[in-house]
Amino acid sequence: MTVNQLIEKAMVKAQGAQASLGQSESTAVSFENDKLKSAKSSQSTGMSVKVIVDGKIGTSHTTDTDDVDGVVAKALEAAEFGSPAHFDFPGPQRGTEVKVCDDAVHPVTKKEMVSIGEEMMSLVKDYNPDILLGAGATKGVATSKFANSAGTVYSTETTNFAVWVDGQLVRGTDLLWAGHGFGWKKREIDHVEIAQKAIALFKMAENIAPITSGDMPVIFTPEGMKVLLLALALGVDGKNVLLGSSPLAGKLGKKIANDSFTITDNPLIDYAGNSGMYDGEGVPHQFTPLIEDGILKNFLYDLDTAGRAGAKSTGNGVGCGPTNLVIKEGDTAYEDMVKHTREGLIVHDVLGLGQGNPMSGEFSVNLYLGYKIENGEIVGRVKDVMLAGNTYDALKNIAVIGDTAEWAGGSLLTPPVQIAKLSVVAR
Amino acid sequence: MEKALRKSNAEYTEIRIESATSSWVNFRGEELDNIGSARTLGGIVRALVKGGWGYSTFNDLRDLETRVREACESARLVGKEHSEFAEVEPVDDTTTATLNKDFRRVSLSEKKAVIEEYNKIILGYHDRIETSNVAYNDRFRKVWYCNSQGTYIEDERPDTGVSISATARDGDNVQRGFESVAGSTGFQVVEGVHKKAEEAARRAVDLLSAPPVAGGKYTIIINPRLAGVFAHEAFGHLSESDFLYENERMKELMVLGKRFGSDGLNIIDDGSLSGLRGTHTYDDEGVKTRRNYLIKDGILVGRLHSRETAAKMGERPTGNARAISYQHPPIVRMTNTFIDKGDDSFEDMVKDVELGLYALDMVGGQTAMEMFTFSAAYGYMIRQGAVAELVRDVVLTGNVFETLMNIDKIGNTVELPPVGGGCGKGGQSPLPVGFGGPYVLMQNVVVGGRQQ
Repeated sequence: MTVNQLIEKAMVKAQGAQASLGQSESTAVSFENDKLKSAKSSQSTGMSVKVIVDGKIGTSHTTDTDDVDGVVAKALEAAEFGSPAHFDFPGPQRGTEVKVCDDAVHPVTKKEMVSIGEEMMSLVKDYNPDILLGAGATKGVATSKFANSAGTVYSTETTNFAVWVDGQLVRGTDLLWAGHGFGWKKREIDHVEIAQKAIALFKMAENIAPITSGDMPVIFTPEGMKVLLLALALGVDGKNVLLGSSPLAGKLGKKIANDSFTITDNPLIDYAGNSGMYDGEGVPHQFTPLIEDGILKNFLYDLDTAGRAGAKSTGNGVGCGPTNLVIKEGDTAYEDMVKHTREGLIVHDVLGLGQGNPMSGEFSVNLYLGYKIENGEIVGRVKDVMLAGNTYDALKNIAVIGDTAEWAGGSLLTPPVQIAKLSVVAR
Repeated sequence: MEKALRKSNAEYTEIRIESATSSWVNFRGEELDNIGSARTLGGIVRALVKGGWGYSTFNDLRDLETRVREACESARLVGKEHSEFAEVEPVDDTTTATLNKDFRRVSLSEKKAVIEEYNKIILGYHDRIETSNVAYNDRFRKVWYCNSQGTYIEDERPDTGVSISATARDGDNVQRGFESVAGSTGFQVVEGVHKKAEEAARRAVDLLSAPPVAGGKYTIIINPRLAGVFAHEAFGHLSESDFLYENERMKELMVLGKRFGSDGLNIIDDGSLSGLRGTHTYDDEGVKTRRNYLIKDGILVGRLHSRETAAKMGERPTGNARAISYQHPPIVRMTNTFIDKGDDSFEDMVKDVELGLYALDMVGGQTAMEMFTFSAAYGYMIRQGAVAELVRDVVLTGNVFETLMNIDKIGNTVELPPVGGGCGKGGQSPLPVGFGGPYVLMQNVVVGGRQQ
């Protein structure tokens, strides 16, 4: 097995080593402008080595899996000038079983993927034939082998499957582009429901609703929650905490959100986008509460950052980023949330997220796909509107949380959340 | 490659193989965070049958003929109509990159030493500096391209840059100053930019005491660095013909000859300017790059094409089919996009503004159809004709059918700053692009923020 060869070669000069070898194959079909446009097959390989020499780390990567000597030599070269290591490679630890491979993905043919696309497009066309449609499906199978010099060895096979449909609707100089998609590690995806969700976005946008500047309550749909979660994901990143750039540094155990708000990092959900038994450093994945009933509970760590911070790796290596984020359901039905709003907004998609200074929690975004609520009814789409606020203020200012969580992409499971007041600037 | 191409039974077939070496060095705070290198080798076959495309991408180059067959089979599954693909003269050309200082011959220790100096400047600048993030990256791509119409091109595409970020903190108030340099001409691009490290640190500290901009509608002056991202987001993306070529209503909206701005407005995309990050001799379909006017004297006069969109719209290919790597087919992209110069000086612009905002440098932008945002690194209020206090969190939004019409004054000098970053589209990001412009004054621009 090549990973063992890599470790052996590296250990001639290194005091510690880690190697991984990956192979994947994927297929995609894509529709554009109401027509089947392309089909793609992809084959890829990759090999990475990390070494510790005299307490310093070097890394190297190659797509050429025959070049064992070359990739090891490059990693050793980098280690000469490398960053100091604050960890030892972990020995074998038993991880929690989680399903990441679905045999039903393997036999899916391009023709089946084409008919999934066609069905979704015909559903949206039935709603409005003027919408110019795109759609697609992808499937993939990947194997990876991991080993380190402390005796940890594992192999995984993962599958993935995804479908999406979107469309453009042009009325005068009003251009609308909306759609929906979903992907995870399992074949089972209800593509009819995906088309229906896309249709719902177009239906709510049939009218353009006027809006004036001011403060108002704002409902974030599961997809829209990324506006609030960007800063939070950066804020709980253990490296940002260690370096002091996270505003959450020093706030463990403190109340940073409304009592109703609970969010966890969970890589142990079967078939979710970022699920798996181990992280990229051979550390078993774990369930990590981030905020519980409004109290900040944990930060996310990889091995090196944990070593520097005097903490323990939470299995979020390399990089201290979240895996799958899960927000606890509240007790208000989405329909009631809308019904009880006299004047407010629904945020589904935005432009300009992450520009500026996202770590501070500040956001100032164009409501690309946002809807106006008046007297408990959704009255239409708003345009040319900016929404501004601060994630950390907003989390303290949660009005209600929806009672049903939904997947937004394959790695965020959240109910809709209504913030009592955010600032809106209209043209 | 040529032997494998002969196995194709498609109407058009191309093979693009890419070998790339890259290295990186990253300081975060006092410590080196990451140092390493990578080598990638891979390719893509693209085949066209009856208007349908088949793609096959791979790292294993041993069996090109199988990859050609795979792409042809995919194309045959897809194609049901007839192919339209603009003719271009076949070329046989080899271009080599000229690097003043070849970063492939610079050791990792020297790369580390250069950016360590910048890191030290930031950390030593002020008590309020909490941390830093200084990242060096380089990448040398060699591309071999050949197609079934007899074109064979070898091209070299170097890119190197450093991004310099300083974080200052005062309690819960965390601010960031950011600078970058990047270019295709060699390692010297990232040397000697100590002033930028100091600027990033100074800005982070200064922003701690700056209020967020109050949301509202303002008269805006943008500096050349922000004008570039404005040109890119406000108009560049909507001139990419893959949004138009099969969309009859969009074609009506974007008909050549339509007025989008005042007489003084000129927007240009030019992939042939020497030494910029979006510059290539040929695009990824073997089409020579050139200067393309998008807006001339306020009128829409051109757009960006691939060979397919050009054929379907009955226009000439423009050399704008670009792929970020061998894992992707080329799609219509910008190269170096800028607003051309006008007649006004910065002083003339400021002096008549009663209440406005002077927005500087870019941190990003995004477009979806007619609406767009672009974000400034920082800004100053303009009060009674003079530049006044510093403000932060400056994000501007606009609408392509209105905002360009609101441009009132255009500065008399164009700058094309050598900054880092890149453009994302269709899952291909970040693609190196160039952009720039002069100072630009616009009326009635919506700025996000809390009201006062």
